[in-house]
Amino acid sequence: MRAVGVTVLIDLPADHRYNRATLAALQHASEDRRIPIDVRVVPTDAIRDASRIATPGSAVVIGPGSPYRDPDAAHEVVRKAREWNVPLVGT
Amino acid sequence: MLVEHARNLAGIADAAHAEYGPGGTPVITLLECSLQDQTITVDLAPGSLLARLYGTDRVTEATTCSYGLSPEVQHIAGEHGMRIAATDATGEVRAIERVAHPFFIGTLYQPQLRSTRGSPHPVFLGLLDAARAAM
Repeated sequence: MRAVGVTVLIDLPADHRYNRATLAALQHASEDRRIPIDVRVVPTDAIRDASRIATPGSAVVIGPGSPYRDPDAAHEVVRKAREWNVPLVGT
Repeated sequence: MLVEHARNLAGIADAAHAEYGPGGTPVITLLECSLQDQTITVDLAPGSLLARLYGTDRVTEATTCSYGLSPEVQHIAGEHGMRIAATDATGEVRAIERVAHPFFIGTLYQPQLRSTRGSPHPVFLGLLDAARAAM
């Protein structure tokens, strides 16, 4: 089975408990459903092209921890996910 | 999510998040009572995707939020294809979802904080189910 690509937009340090909880929740769901996932963590100020993040067949998680470094870039990812029916959860 | 919704669908072109300073129309504002490091109990809207995911009509979740949808513009959460998916005891919006979208959910709480290996969170299960269905 092909892995589901999941992009996590989060600006917190990798060892922050919200960051760890977000990645753990994805792993819990992956194991429960036996759906392999390919997770990449992208800080908002590293978003170069929203259309390469919210891609068909992928999923997006917006993690906690505002203010975001580049909120407009995050909004653009939200817009692409909305328009292209890409699954997205914002927490 | 609500700022994008406000700007691009609800006609509030200068919609802003108050955490980023003054300017524009603040649609996300400081909560009167901070929800930082608390738990909240929310009522799930009947027929919503969120209610189907949880399989119940009321849940208690952990939250770290200090900002939320401004009381002045609560109505936009139920317009232009968005639906109010959860409200708290005060009636304020605590989760939203898009009606004509396979999975587009925003929560003013952090479901990931309650997920465990033995009890994965239904929101994250639903996210992966929706992504797999689209492959």
